[in-house]
Amino acid sequence: MSFLDSIAAGLALVGNIESFLALFAGVAIGVIGGAIPGMSATMAVALTLPFTFAMQPITGILLLLGVYKGGIFGGSIPAILIKTPGTPASSATILDGYPMAEKGEAGRALGMALWASCTADVISNLSLILFAGWLASFALSFGPPEFFTLILFSLTIIAGVSGESLLRGALSALLGLLLATIGLDLVYGTNRFTFGDPNMMGGLNFIAVLIGLFAIPEILAMVWNPTAHVGKARSLGKNWVSFAEYRRSFKSIVRGSFIGVFLGSIPGIGAAPSAFLSYSEARRTSKNKENFGKGEIEGVAAAEAGNNGVAGATLIPLLALGVPGDVITAIIIGAFMIHGLQPGPMMFILNVDIIYGLFIGLIVSSVFLFLIGSVAIRGFKYVADIPKRILIPAVLVLCIYGVFAVNNNIFDVGVMFVMGWVGYLMVRYHIPAAPFLIAFILGPLLEDNFRQSMLMSGSDPMILLRGPITWFFWTLTVLTVIAIARAGVRAVRGAAVLSGDLDD
Amino acid sequence: MTQRQVQMRLGTGALLVAIFLIIYAIPQWVSSPSNVGNIILSPLFWPYALAGFTGLAGLGLIFSGVRMAPDGPRVDAPCDTPGLAWLRLAGMAAIMVVTMVLLPRLGMVLTCMLVFLASAFLVRTRHPVTAVVCAVIIPLVLYAFFAHIAGVAIPQGEILRLP
Amino acid sequence: MSIKSISAVCAVSLGLAGAAFAEYPERPINMVIPYGAGGATDISARTIAEPLGAAVGKPLVMANVTGAGGATGSVAVQNAKEDGYTMLFARVGSHSVNPAMKATLPYGLDDFRFVTVYEINPVACAVSPSSGITSMDDLVAKVNEGGVTYSSSGVGSLLHLAAVMVLKEFGVEEPLTQTTHIPQKGGGAAATAVLNGTATFLCTNSSAISSFVANKQLVPLMVTTKEPVAGFDVPTAADLGKPALHQLVGWTGIAGPDGLPDDVADKWGTWMAAATQDAEFLEKMTARGSVIELMSPEDANAFIEGQYNTFRKLVDELGMRIEG
Repeated sequence: MSFLDSIAAGLALVGNIESFLALFAGVAIGVIGGAIPGMSATMAVALTLPFTFAMQPITGILLLLGVYKGGIFGGSIPAILIKTPGTPASSATILDGYPMAEKGEAGRALGMALWASCTADVISNLSLILFAGWLASFALSFGPPEFFTLILFSLTIIAGVSGESLLRGALSALLGLLLATIGLDLVYGTNRFTFGDPNMMGGLNFIAVLIGLFAIPEILAMVWNPTAHVGKARSLGKNWVSFAEYRRSFKSIVRGSFIGVFLGSIPGIGAAPSAFLSYSEARRTSKNKENFGKGEIEGVAAAEAGNNGVAGATLIPLLALGVPGDVITAIIIGAFMIHGLQPGPMMFILNVDIIYGLFIGLIVSSVFLFLIGSVAIRGFKYVADIPKRILIPAVLVLCIYGVFAVNNNIFDVGVMFVMGWVGYLMVRYHIPAAPFLIAFILGPLLEDNFRQSMLMSGSDPMILLRGPITWFFWTLTVLTVIAIARAGVRAVRGAAVLSGDLDD
Repeated sequence: MTQRQVQMRLGTGALLVAIFLIIYAIPQWVSSPSNVGNIILSPLFWPYALAGFTGLAGLGLIFSGVRMAPDGPRVDAPCDTPGLAWLRLAGMAAIMVVTMVLLPRLGMVLTCMLVFLASAFLVRTRHPVTAVVCAVIIPLVLYAFFAHIAGVAIPQGEILRLP
Repeated sequence: MSIKSISAVCAVSLGLAGAAFAEYPERPINMVIPYGAGGATDISARTIAEPLGAAVGKPLVMANVTGAGGATGSVAVQNAKEDGYTMLFARVGSHSVNPAMKATLPYGLDDFRFVTVYEINPVACAVSPSSGITSMDDLVAKVNEGGVTYSSSGVGSLLHLAAVMVLKEFGVEEPLTQTTHIPQKGGGAAATAVLNGTATFLCTNSSAISSFVANKQLVPLMVTTKEPVAGFDVPTAADLGKPALHQLVGWTGIAGPDGLPDDVADKWGTWMAAATQDAEFLEKMTARGSVIELMSPEDANAFIEGQYNTFRKLVDELGMRIEG
């Protein structure tokens, strides 16, 4: 079958009102679900899944994909407005989005988030369509040693999000790594810091840690000084993102999209590291480096491009190999199977109409995302006008509900509270929270892949140098570390010059 | 706090944490089977490595703190009445502890109504009536959403059992 | 508040309070799924929830409580009120492999009362086509050469035990030292590990790898059932003369806390009988490669007990038990 025939077959399958309605509804559900902290895109997809059982396969899957895409964008709305990421992927958006909201520029931040998301979405979908086959073969060459080097490299992101002091960033990351050791050991199944409590055996819930670290310190800061915000303009303002700003950030958006596509096509990384990597790259190369973390619109653009760039690309391993890249695609695979479809290379031969139907649906979903996102921003932006001392208790209650709902466990609410105090201490001592979070995500992956590599090779460390992929990442890591060290030395010199005690 | 004090305190804290982990916490709370073939594969390896790095980071912080000027500008936000502020923080901590105790007993909805009220008045809201109205409505709306739309088993209490 | 009391509180939270049950059930029943969304247990539970809810007459509230290989959710039900309003979707991993392998598990089989087992999943072993292995004999020969690895969804999972048990049955004396176990996080990752050559083989639920087998990305070697499994053109354990492997199957059942009253257990028996008759349910489950086999509470208990004892014997014999 030629390419045109395939497209025609796909069109015939999705060219009905039902499919588009499902897609539209999906994006809407996703945006709303993503915007509710604790709901997260994952839960929104999981909750929609049972509704798809009764639908046509293509309609049901389009509905789920719509929820997924909408959810990843929706998460940025509370991240910008109330410093609570609606979905883990939007944690990087907080870094500049919330300061913008504080300055009364929530509208601009949200607008840029939407534009960046949609752009990244289009790029990601096009990459899926063009490169699915090629990237899929690449994904399978990632074994534990390759993962280990990739994650080691990803940990250098920490330098990019450390803010004023690299050492404090490192300390933050180490705390995150230490906290991530809680739970059952991967290789031997023994307890580590679980104190015999079954709730600790599974490790600390990621969402509980995330919300505790970002949202609760904001509440505690409010408790410490309830009138700090009085007199600051926090209303949304009439301003909307301008095309000039979009053009200025365009390079970061495209770079972020491709980082997302690359990380998304490798199973097991997910959208949050991609958003952070894109953010730190944007910061590294930007002319306004100083303004990052203080409300730089390019930071929002890069973070959102990074996480939405993943959304289309995670479908590459899913469709081409039947391998889910993250929890959400694992649920979507479940939907395929319930309808008797088996994702994998054979699907490109047996169900080519469905594949192309999905491609067409995905392209359309970017347009829907733009429409629904614009409406949602107009609806949600009034959050910025709520009196802060009413908003803060409401956020607290919302966090309690949301964190409970993630795993139906009250213990997680306690984890969130405790992490809130940890996060507050970190704010007081000027320790950045982002390295903590990145380390908390990547730490277990680093350890597991290291030990799996050692198991594979019988404890021969040379396996970490097998093949060109590991060499590639080792080189990147070394180069980045050298760059960071040079920047660090320069910063120390600069500080010493300023304080006037340079001896040499 | 000056920049130098921040570095020094953090450094000391990190060193103490590292020492505590290495001497007491890891041997006590990380169990490792006796038949581990290779030290690198032991469940203890990674925690020890992290504790070591934490100690190094602590040393680095102290070192960089020593090099800083002792009378730098203050870095923490000023607060008019620190005494009251500490009291409010303690109040918030108490609210959280009470929340954990009440959640399984009163159920999610009632507890959250109380949490909302307590925290709104703790931050001395200028809209007491709105606060009370919101305290009743918001937990109910969230309950309706999570329990009936999202299908989450929101904990119910003995006193109030919502449909 | 100590961690113990917090955990106790959490546990109670799920077993919502309730007065004496005049007419069980008089309100929605909480169904705890101890594994994550999209997994085998979750899909099975949510598929039966529809006909089961109709039979029960009250809503079933599905709650995924994940963590520690099913232990977190299981403990939540173990400590719940014994009123039948908090029930558990028990699974082979959480309720026969884990108790057999983990000394540190905070619960045992005696802490639960099983009301049914309704689904059996055949276990299949598979290798990657590039390995050149096409039969169990090839695999065993390769094991004796050395360097063979197998993947699993974690320590103490069915996949972990299954690989060891199969090798042992096929005459490998010391499966633990002659091969290397490479645990992964979750069943999907375990299959991927074989796909990309990280591990040599795996033994898992046939439904988890049926698409890879259909796409010729994995080569199946055997299935552990008596009957052949659709889509798997390989010998069964019976064909290979290893009837002991028939015990090695996955299953899903429903359990309550240990003190569950008899009338509640009986009601579940009737509901399940009605629910498993549902044509749509049967069609969906068999399409996924499951065998629907409804067991009465007594049969379910005997079945699980038997499987547990088989596993426990093997674990003790090989010294696989995880202490500490």
